Amino acid sequence: MLRIPNFFSCLLIFASIGCDRMPGKPTVATPVAIGSSAWTQSTFDTNCRGCHSQGAEGAAIPLIDAGYWKVATDAQVIQVISHGQGVLMPSYLESNGGPMSAEQIAAFVKGMRSLWGAGSPGGQGGISDVVVAGNADAGAHVFASACASCHAAGGSAGSVTDPMYLKLISNQGLWSAIVYGRAALASPAWNEPMPNHPNGLTPTEVADVVSWIAQARPVSPANNQNASNAK
Amino acid sequence: MNRDAIIKLLKQPVQWVEERTGVIAFSAPLLTHHVPRSAKWWYVFGSATLMFFTIQIVTGVCLGTMYAPSASNAWESLRYIDEEIPLGWMLRALHGWSSSAMVVMMAIHMLQVFMHGSFKYPRELNWITGVFLLLTVLALAFTGQVMRWDQDAYWGLGIGAAIVDRVPVFGDQMRALMLGGPIIGGETLNRFFALHVFILPGAAIGLVGIHMTLIMKNGISEMPKPGEIVVPSTYRKEFEERMHKTGVPFFPDAAQRDMVFCGVCLILLVFLAAYYGPFGPGGMPDPTLINTNPRPDYPFMWIFGAVSLLPPASETAIMLISPVIGIAILVAVPFLSNSGERAPSRRPGMMLLAVFVVMAIVALTWEGVTSPWSPVMNGWSALPTPTQFVKGRTPLQMQGAVVFQYAQCRNCHELGGFGGKRGPALDEIATRMSPDQIVRQVQQGGGNMPAFGKNLNSAQMTAIVDFLSTLRPANEPDSTIPGAQLPLPIKSPLTLNEPFTGTGVPAEIATGASSR
Ligand code: HEC
Ligand code: HEC
Ligand code: HEC
Repeated sequence: MLRIPNFFSCLLIFASIGCDRMPGKPTVATPVAIGSSAWTQSTFDTNCRGCHSQGAEGAAIPLIDAGYWKVATDAQVIQVISHGQGVLMPSYLESNGGPMSAEQIAAFVKGMRSLWGAGSPGGQGGISDVVVAGNADAGAHVFASACASCHAAGGSAGSVTDPMYLKLISNQGLWSAIVYGRAALASPAWNEPMPNHPNGLTPTEVADVVSWIAQARPVSPANNQNASNAK
Repeated sequence: MNRDAIIKLLKQPVQWVEERTGVIAFSAPLLTHHVPRSAKWWYVFGSATLMFFTIQIVTGVCLGTMYAPSASNAWESLRYIDEEIPLGWMLRALHGWSSSAMVVMMAIHMLQVFMHGSFKYPRELNWITGVFLLLTVLALAFTGQVMRWDQDAYWGLGIGAAIVDRVPVFGDQMRALMLGGPIIGGETLNRFFALHVFILPGAAIGLVGIHMTLIMKNGISEMPKPGEIVVPSTYRKEFEERMHKTGVPFFPDAAQRDMVFCGVCLILLVFLAAYYGPFGPGGMPDPTLINTNPRPDYPFMWIFGAVSLLPPASETAIMLISPVIGIAILVAVPFLSNSGERAPSRRPGMMLLAVFVVMAIVALTWEGVTSPWSPVMNGWSALPTPTQFVKGRTPLQMQGAVVFQYAQCRNCHELGGFGGKRGPALDEIATRMSPDQIVRQVQQGGGNMPAFGKNLNSAQMTAIVDFLSTLRPANEPDSTIPGAQLPLPIKSPLTLNEPFTGTGVPAEIATGASSR
């Protein structure tokens, strides 16, 4: 039979060790201060870098890129992070099923700008960062003169009027691809001078060519579906 | 006051209650019923299982008062219990460890009953209720793992959903029933919460009641002796005579051994809980957790081990049919042989079988522990497509690379040396597989890869396959024909705006770093 006194002395020892110093007690992670550059970097590295990296890395538009932050406004970036964009950009706002509060997103955008924005407040460069409606017929001409050399059927840069491609990218995505380009992939930025377009494209021309490209999209534009993303 | 007077005073309220309820007269036989004298230490496992079950209910009720069963708060509420509630972590640790201990104790109890042939006449139903108790407890363990609502939970659910998905004809409906929708989400948690705290515990308590009633009715079997044969026509009469003559009252003779054993178990449990702490909740991803390695809880590890060993072709059949067969065999055990010898030495075949089953489960558990699960749960949002796979791609292929992230393929597949190791690296996939084969693999899954058929629409599938078809070593010529259309027998394209979250982590969890 069990010796009762022994049992109790065991228990006593247990109790006197103090429950709060037991090895099994989970350690509290020290939170990184929201808004700090370490927090911004780690939030980006965990949540965004897989798609938006820098240079030629990552398949979606690079965000570690001063050229992007020069044109992009905080309001627009906050809008995209909160509600997603097109089909493949998830929404991150809590009320959209994401993990971040509105305050966190605002702090995050501010943090990204101070890390990669090279001091620019955004909204510079003479072109909006938000897609505007254009005239498709005029767009056909813009495409022929500015884009066809690379994007015509069989062109070196691949088709931008492939219906499957257009089902996956929003008009806003097309707009940004044209405006910012991607230097590391030899994709020109059309808010800057080009050989036979000394001033790049005007905002109207970009709007027109986006409208023309979007005509090839088989279903309703994906950019109407932002809110229902990533639920 | 003298001693007698005190006793009398204490007895009065008891008698008052007894007179009105008869509760003592009713429950006294529970303590005084006779058990065989030979019932020694072999018989303690059932009691220990019951003790762990009681602990589960007590700690479970306590946790129930603090747990928030909503997708957005569950994880946070566990952290709250761990960090803010005094000894809350201990409560969770006890609940977690006691759950594993109960499964283990139950297995030992069952093994003992099997080896001693105690399931034979008249205790067939004891065994069968026991089998159902085992299933209920395993279901409790599985649903309990989901309560943590962390990466492991998602993993378990994802695999569970993938298994259910394979059911012919009703796969979709069953998946929807299990997950409360096409994807793992808030409804899933609600569903599993209801199962875990109402339905399954209710079922378990009922089954325990039946199990105990049967024990009272049929008595506890004696230690088997070679040559002492169970003959259904005479067994009960002889057993009752022997009990009458040589039996000892359950309390205190047998009960004291139960108490000592339970006491030891309890101390061990407290020690395990205090030393190893609670299970999870595992990553809400944070940067230090990129290499998390979600695994099922131990009671299910062997199943996952088995799945990882299966040849892909036979997988569906084996995964769906073997549990049914297994349960059927367990239920059938007492009918296959309900009379005759009980002694292990006279049933060598049965003993071999028992040893084989135990060894198989241990080996498969080991396989499950050591096999390269290692998916990277936030690989999809953290690991960029390497430069060499981005350069020179068409816009469609670029979107394919995004879909590869978006559909969380990266969590299981490496590109450029980074990514999950659950599946093979796909850096050179275009040299191994034709676009058609890739389509088939992605649509139908297989070999531990979930079937994506219903989770990717035709554009996403086209883009991803177009992208994968460009993955080949730099020195090999690029053979993708620009603009070539793929034959795509896509079954049921989803609407474009439905993101894939079927397995692995949905965006809301996988992207949680920033919410801390
Ligand atoms: C699964 C890949 C993926 C992840 C992860 C992801 N994005 Fe995106 N993001 C995209 C895609 C694709 C687009 C373009 C969508 C379109 O326009 O169709 C996009 C668009 C954007 C844009 C708008 C670009 C523009 O001006 O057109 C911003 C800003 C953005 N993402 C920020 C983020 C941030 C911040 C995170 C991390 C919190 C993030 N993204 C995570 C894929 C992703
Ligand atoms: C000098 C050749 C060249 C010219 C001219 C050019 N592009 Fe591109 N474009 C590229 C390259 C290279 C890419 C990179 C491939 C990629 O991103 O998929 C690209 C990519 C794109 C993309 C896809 C971006 C993505 O990630 O989905 C779009 C859309 C696009 N270009 C539109 C245009 C439009 C519109 C014009 C005319 C205004 C144009 N391009 C002119 C070379 C060019
Ligand atoms: C749960 C983890 C998991 C996810 C998520 C996953 N896979 Fe797999 N994949 C595997 C495993 C495991 C195998 C090996 C299958 C086998 O052995 O037959 C595999 C095999 C493959 C293969 C064949 C590789 C070969 O060399 O035979 C391709 C192609 C593939 N997966 C593509 C994808 C794509 C595309 C996605 C995203 C849509 C994806 N996988 C998502 C686990 C996964």
